Amino acid sequence: MTLRDWVPIVALLVPGLGLILVLIGSVVYIAVAQSFGYYALLGQSEFSLEFWSDVFGRKLFSRAVRYSIYVGFWSAVLSVALAYPLAIWLRKPFSGSIGLGALLKAPLLVHGLVAAFLYINVISYNGLLNQFMQGIGIWSEPRRLQNDSNAFGVLLLQVWKNMPFALLLLTGAVQSISDDILDASRDLGAGPWARFCKIIAPLSISGMQAAMVIIFIGALADFTFQTTVGPTNRQSMAQLMVSFKSRGDWHSAAVVGVSLMTIALLGSALLAFTSRVIMRGGLR
Amino acid sequence: MAAIGIRGLSKSFDGFQALSELSLEVNQGEFLTLLGPSGCGKTTLLKIISGFLEPSTGSITIGGEDVTRVPPESRDTALCFQSYALFPHLTVLQNLEFGLKQKGVSRDQREVRISEVAAKLELEAQLEKLPNQLSGGQQQRVSLGRALVMRPSVILFDEPLSNLDAKLRDQVRVEISRIQQDYSLTAIYVTHDQSEALAMSDRIVVLNNGKIVQVDTPEDLYAKPRTSFVADFIGGANLISGKVSSQTEKDPITIETSMGQIETSQCVKDNVENVELSWRPERAKIGEGPYRGTIVHRAFQGQFTDLILEQNDTVFRIRTNNDKLCVGEVINFSLSPDDVVVLEADK
Repeated sequence: MTLRDWVPIVALLVPGLGLILVLIGSVVYIAVAQSFGYYALLGQSEFSLEFWSDVFGRKLFSRAVRYSIYVGFWSAVLSVALAYPLAIWLRKPFSGSIGLGALLKAPLLVHGLVAAFLYINVISYNGLLNQFMQGIGIWSEPRRLQNDSNAFGVLLLQVWKNMPFALLLLTGAVQSISDDILDASRDLGAGPWARFCKIIAPLSISGMQAAMVIIFIGALADFTFQTTVGPTNRQSMAQLMVSFKSRGDWHSAAVVGVSLMTIALLGSALLAFTSRVIMRGGLR
Repeated sequence: MAAIGIRGLSKSFDGFQALSELSLEVNQGEFLTLLGPSGCGKTTLLKIISGFLEPSTGSITIGGEDVTRVPPESRDTALCFQSYALFPHLTVLQNLEFGLKQKGVSRDQREVRISEVAAKLELEAQLEKLPNQLSGGQQQRVSLGRALVMRPSVILFDEPLSNLDAKLRDQVRVEISRIQQDYSLTAIYVTHDQSEALAMSDRIVVLNNGKIVQVDTPEDLYAKPRTSFVADFIGGANLISGKVSSQTEKDPITIETSMGQIETSQCVKDNVENVELSWRPERAKIGEGPYRGTIVHRAFQGQFTDLILEQNDTVFRIRTNNDKLCVGEVINFSLSPDDVVVLEADK
């Protein structure tokens, strides 16, 4: 292509792609530069690996990485696992299916922080769940359910918040599979599980990958749910980053931020790749 | 024993009666076509036979076994879809072996069956391709092959040629007939195309409004339609009402119509005065004859010419090899009493 051909293409791309690249590029650049000692808000700006070695040497950091990956991974997997059967169920319209679909997507309209506080009302020491369990005689006294060490509360909220999003993506993907294709697989002897593994999942894999990746990235960088209902004995990466920043240690916060972005990128790629391999494996 | 037995089958959807009290037997190795206009219930019947729909009442047996409530995945049938329904993410080979894997057929057996069918359908060169890399005709052959490798007791076709162009349709039609005969398959074929039905079938079941109107061989169905619906749907016959004017045991019956007196060699029930007659456009012999009409439209069709004639406000169609006749000409023609069919009243 000649320069004359390139000019209109670049001119057309600049308003959209250019803006995105500038916004993302500048943020990534600042974060990476700060993690190496540049753009110091206090003191001297110079190249240094000190912040990386300091943060990577802390047990707090490695625990936060493991914890955030745990939350991100299980949130994505559980949300998609719950959304799939619902998407298949809602694939064909039936009486009340529109209302049901809208109800299932309602959590998308509730802000995460509001959901977290509502959840606390349910599981707190004097909350609804404790009162109910005592009321029906299963528990003799209230139990401490808040801030559980396995972060089940965080996972529950993540799934509650993200499942509708996965449902939205998967419903579209599953609805695009024609009835004839599913009927053909049935006619050839495939039962419900074989139909899911060999036809529905491979044909809706793009929707599933998109849901997994977006939920993983969001849950990996969770701050709201972690600070309200998460375990008190460990921090998420976002929480750790904010705590560094609160102490004025912008360089260490940048190291955590860059690590978070890298894990999000690599984790997403791994998740997308793994899901594709598993789905292809199912065909053999 | 019949390969398929259908007894007292009915199906309704939210108050709409799609099929009413159908009974039918399909013989082993027979090619049976379900023919009828859109909405007559032929696809519903096919879906009930294949197990995708359950009948409201009645039963179905395949090979003597009652399969009325058996799901499609457990039935010994294979369905070829109108849309081909090939799995778009699988290669031709994977499409062909999908059903065999589901049924737990060994790898060796799978290879034998697939290579045999691929050779028969000339698909060897396409095995590694995805469906979207194939032409319509090739996709139809894969769909057929996917059904054939299963070696089903019954193969079902749901308007398999409707997405193909005219030339390809003729070609695939011949292939399907050849394969059905080679494998001695019991086949049920759904179509609304009467020429397809006449060309391929051992017997044709004509359906209308969820009921069987007539079951016959293609030849008999064409020559002796029982009702005006069948006469008109198969081959577009001329229909005319008349009054019986004379009926003796020896001579042909004479019917008084708006065309004039028409003779038929068929019998009319005693005490029946008003009848409906049918005659095929190509049976009219142009030249000398008692009937007369003015050509109001002419359509040259290649091997023959269709003429629309008018006489005394009665319009009828004649098919002739004479392509020299023009609009406005008045012609005479005759009809043999053997070619005039007395129809039953439509139920």
